[in-house]
Amino acid sequence: MSLLEVRDLVAGYEPGLPIVRGVGFALDAGEILVLLGPNGAGKSTLARAVAGLVPVAEGTVMLGGGSLLAVPAHRRIGAGLGFVPQSGNVFAALTVAENLAIAAAVLPRAARAGRIAAALALFPDLAAARGRAAGLLSGGQRQMLAIARALIPAPRVMALDEPSAGLAPKLVGTVLAKLREIAAGGVAVLLVEQNVRAALAVADRAMVLVEGRVAHAGTAAALRDDPRVAALYLGGVRAA
Amino acid sequence: MIGQILIDGITSGAMIGLGAIGLTLTCGLLRFANFAQGEFATWGAYFALLIAGALGGAAPLGPLTFGWPLLAALLISMGLTALLAWSLDAVLFRRLRRHGNAIVLVIASFGASLALRSAVEFLFGPEPYYYSRDIAMTLRLAPGMRATADQLVVLALALVLMLAMHLLLARTPLGRAMRAVSENPDLARLAGIDAARVVRATWLLGGALAAAAGVFLGVTVQVRPAMGFELLLPLFAAAILGGIGSVPGAMVGGLVIGIAEAAAVPLAGAQYRAAVAFVVMLAMLLVRPRGLFGGRAA
Ligand SMILES: Nc1ncnc2c1ncn2[C@@H]1O[C@H](COP(=O)(O)OP(=O)(O)OP(=O)(O)O)[C@@H](O)[C@H]1O
Ligand SMILES: [Mg+2]
Repeated sequence: MSLLEVRDLVAGYEPGLPIVRGVGFALDAGEILVLLGPNGAGKSTLARAVAGLVPVAEGTVMLGGGSLLAVPAHRRIGAGLGFVPQSGNVFAALTVAENLAIAAAVLPRAARAGRIAAALALFPDLAAARGRAAGLLSGGQRQMLAIARALIPAPRVMALDEPSAGLAPKLVGTVLAKLREIAAGGVAVLLVEQNVRAALAVADRAMVLVEGRVAHAGTAAALRDDPRVAALYLGGVRAA
Repeated sequence: MIGQILIDGITSGAMIGLGAIGLTLTCGLLRFANFAQGEFATWGAYFALLIAGALGGAAPLGPLTFGWPLLAALLISMGLTALLAWSLDAVLFRRLRRHGNAIVLVIASFGASLALRSAVEFLFGPEPYYYSRDIAMTLRLAPGMRATADQLVVLALALVLMLAMHLLLARTPLGRAMRAVSENPDLARLAGIDAARVVRATWLLGGALAAAAGVFLGVTVQVRPAMGFELLLPLFAAAILGGIGSVPGAMVGGLVIGIAEAAAVPLAGAQYRAAVAFVVMLAMLLVRPRGLFGGRAA
């Protein structure tokens, strides 16, 4: 049994209007699964449904053998699921330190300082900006803070929705390399990405979502060489 | 005259600010304008009237018109009104929120406001009450600047409550969670914050502070069924002026509205006093809809 198992998931914003239409995948500890797909394919909706922000109509979401569906969104971090949403992923009006403190508040008191220190060690840029409002950070620092926030409670599974969006090409590599480090610590990573080449370079496996269904799935290496993926992304629909 | 306007304006402005804190917080957190906020002040004033009456007549403290029973009544009334605000949310707003229609919520709060006011009028009658029959002693603070001892104590208590509220928001985990939910409810849930608990705390705090405003208004003016309703426009003006969701904004907004109202009386005549809050609010909405402290656009 895998750490995260999603089966036949149907989810959407309004009853009878499914956006995610029967998606299944499994994710093991230490593994990075990248979720690709055109704009509007339902990638964010799928990630948000797993995180508990979008109602699930059918299917199952299991973490460590237990169902997450009955767990309210605010308890899922305690259940071991961290999520970095696509937009609004830091509290802009709060300082960096406050953002980190909020993340640590779900931990036992004695564990908080250590987890914050570990996150700052992974993202040294943040340490210098602790007193600054998160809204004033640079794009790269902001994504680092968003990832640190989700990482501090020590999740077993971490989902990230386009953590490299809007970053300079050099930073894209830096951020995705951090995810490799996080996975190396035993965290299962579900990564939604638009930077296809960079994402396939760090991922173990990949899945392409089209109109709410899995169109292709396989190892990252296989998808990299797949002409159909190339048609969709690398000079095909995406570049148009 | 300017000194007098300032002292009168600041005193009434501090009460407006206290009442507006709850309004701006629930507005920022729940995205809805609670027209029943003023009634919390009314109920707070009447709760205190009953409790102070039950505690009996102790001698007034120093130059004040009231004694310790009213101070005890203030605290108990804040607690009771906090529960009233919380229950109003529990029985009415929380259910309606689930169906998520802002207009329905606003209309419901308007209905609740009417019901709460009518209940007070039914129970206590339309005539005004006073916490004390004593004549308030006037102190001369400076040439042309007079205030009653009551007024100064009320002002000091209001400022203490505002400071306490500010520290709670700025320094405590609850305050941090309140700011987080107000900025981004989804992210707050992802971060493990129980938004429902934060909303409950907000109603309790907003109700308690409005009750204090009501009692202070009762001490310096009188206790009447319409007192909270008449406070409503200044409350909204203060919240909008300061920026929806901003507690320091509500406090400063309250002071500005209070001073503007006090200045309007000698400048334009007492009959225009009520219009001032409205004019300031409109001007702010036209010039800078996010308010002075850059909260959410009103
Ligand atoms: N809050 C919402 N309410 C209703 N429909 C929504 C909402 N958010 C997204 N949708 C719809 O769901 C569909 C899928 O959107 P989603 O954001 O999941 O796509 P995506 O694959 O993440 O796209 P992108 O690459 O642009 O981020 C779209 O048709 C979108 O219009
Ligand atoms: Mg998306």
